[in-house]
Amino acid sequence: MRYVAQRFAQMIIVILVVTFLVSLALRFLPGGTDVAVAAKVGAGATREQIEAVKDELHLNDHFAVGWLRWLGNFVTGNWGTTFGSNQPISELFGKAFPVSMYSMLWAQVIALGVAIPVALLSAYRQNTAIDRFSATSAFGLLSVPNYILGPVLILLFSIQRKWIPYPSTYVNPFESPIGHFKAYILPVVTLALPLYASYMRLLRADLIGTLQSDFITTARAKGVSTFSILTRHALRPSMFSLMTAAAVNIGALIGGGLIVEQLFQLNGIGRVMVESIFKREYPTVQYGVALLAVIYVVANFVVDLAYARIDPRVRDARKLS
Amino acid sequence: MQPTAMVAPVPPDPALETLSSAQQHLRIPKVRSRGKFTKWLAICWLALIVFTAIGASWLPYVNSSCDGVSATEKKTCISHIDANIRMNERPPSWAVWADAPKNLPGAPDRAGWFGTDRNGYDIFARSMFGARTSLLIGGLSILFGLLIGGALGLTAGYFRGWVDRLIDGVMNIMLAFPALLLAIFIVGFFTDSGTDAAKNRPIWPIVMALVVLSIPPLTRLVRANTIAYAQREFVLAARSLGAKGSRVMFKEILPNVVPALVSFALTGMAILIVAEGALAFLGLSVEAPSPTWGKMIFAGKDRLQDGAWWISMMPAATMFLTILSINLLGDIYSQRFNRREAIG
Repeated sequence: MRYVAQRFAQMIIVILVVTFLVSLALRFLPGGTDVAVAAKVGAGATREQIEAVKDELHLNDHFAVGWLRWLGNFVTGNWGTTFGSNQPISELFGKAFPVSMYSMLWAQVIALGVAIPVALLSAYRQNTAIDRFSATSAFGLLSVPNYILGPVLILLFSIQRKWIPYPSTYVNPFESPIGHFKAYILPVVTLALPLYASYMRLLRADLIGTLQSDFITTARAKGVSTFSILTRHALRPSMFSLMTAAAVNIGALIGGGLIVEQLFQLNGIGRVMVESIFKREYPTVQYGVALLAVIYVVANFVVDLAYARIDPRVRDARKLS
Repeated sequence: MQPTAMVAPVPPDPALETLSSAQQHLRIPKVRSRGKFTKWLAICWLALIVFTAIGASWLPYVNSSCDGVSATEKKTCISHIDANIRMNERPPSWAVWADAPKNLPGAPDRAGWFGTDRNGYDIFARSMFGARTSLLIGGLSILFGLLIGGALGLTAGYFRGWVDRLIDGVMNIMLAFPALLLAIFIVGFFTDSGTDAAKNRPIWPIVMALVVLSIPPLTRLVRANTIAYAQREFVLAARSLGAKGSRVMFKEILPNVVPALVSFALTGMAILIVAEGALAFLGLSVEAPSPTWGKMIFAGKDRLQDGAWWISMMPAATMFLTILSINLLGDIYSQRFNRREAIG
């Protein structure tokens, strides 16, 4: 319990510092508040109009005051509207979040779903042709930037063979599962292939270590089947680096999916964030950064708790300390 | 009370020692070295890329002057000589093949190995100049990132205590800060999009952004390595001989950390070259006319639908092979280094 409280406090501090720095940095971006004002008033506005808009948007305040006001609104849930289009910010994120959420989710599911069996196989059959093939292909995949992989996939599957429509638009999976699949298959594969490669390498390395431990020899001596040894005995204690990496990637994929979102023209969180920065939508950027920081910290926290469930040694060590 | 005899050092049993080392030897999984062939292939490719990057402006593929160009073309030739070469602006040695003017964009053929884009700019020439910018940005960024991150990591790992906590805290905040926003901020600070500065943005704001992004992971890696070595006997020995902190840090610990640094440097450089492309995607890389691989890929992306795949796929292939080669060398290097560590 003390541990949970500690982590919670840590999370709040990180969010406070990061959003404060973001508000500082935003104000010092060239163009500054003028860009935000220009979006609101047209050309040829009088000095009074500009000042009125600036007051309305609280742009004349010191950035620290602005940050405090933002913090109050963030906590109370009164997020307000964007400068330019007067769209409620919560609605903006409410629309963008599922788009990024699904691509993150499917990418993780595919990457883990392929990486775990392949890693088991190549760790068990170390230095065989299968192992060598999976290691080489993973190494190659890690050297492909997603902005190369994406266009290659588009070229192959949308342009040369017109199987997948391009550009894809977001479709709710509950309304049309097939449309959802068509919209997401290419972006998700673009995200999942490098993920798969890094997961597979991590898990394989850890598994090779685990397979040499004495309890595996014991299990083998007892006559436990190979399948059972791999999935029940070896997999669990080898999952640590994999889980850490997967947790870090939850946040990274939601916020950092920008390139893939832009390539496939999906309106996710990454795209909303970058557009907001270019338009100097100060509060929107702040909320986005805070959201991402929360996701990042919570994901790490959940994995930490999951460690204890997976490995009793961690749980006991924490109790002792 | 324990008998004092227990405290006396037990001489190591030679039989036991050989057994354990033999066992260890058996247990160390054979590190499969990637074939020598692959290694030399990677080295050759990188040498070729570096050669074309350095020689981009004087190799006979492109004009180094506009002397032989007809008077009407001269003006455009001079404006393109920096990085964007048109087919008809080739040096005379290529005139044999540069026969009939073609539709733009032109597909790859013997006259233009990588084809041309819609403006008629030669993709191969642009790839050479792109290699120059991309490698320069990647190399400079990882150099400064290693210098700063290495210094911070060494300090944190060696002194520990509050210095360590302070540095670690700062790094945590930097890591929690969305990487893309950080890059946009840094490049944005140094460029005013409204003025001419943006039109020929130099490479250093981009280098600076990449350096800042690379500092936290590099600091962590160096710190972890430093801690591992700071606890070794030879450091204790140096300290008990009265060596000063700076001597221990630079003469005892640093040389041991350097091999690990080299493999970070290689993989880091590959990552940063990729990151430059991501920045280019947001229009935050160097501005026209200088091409980078990332910029070329994005410029050609919208032409894929017209069937002109070469505009983005040719620089993409060049970039991929380069990244792959750098990663391969980094991998081979770190494997060799790890094996030496494990056995010796």
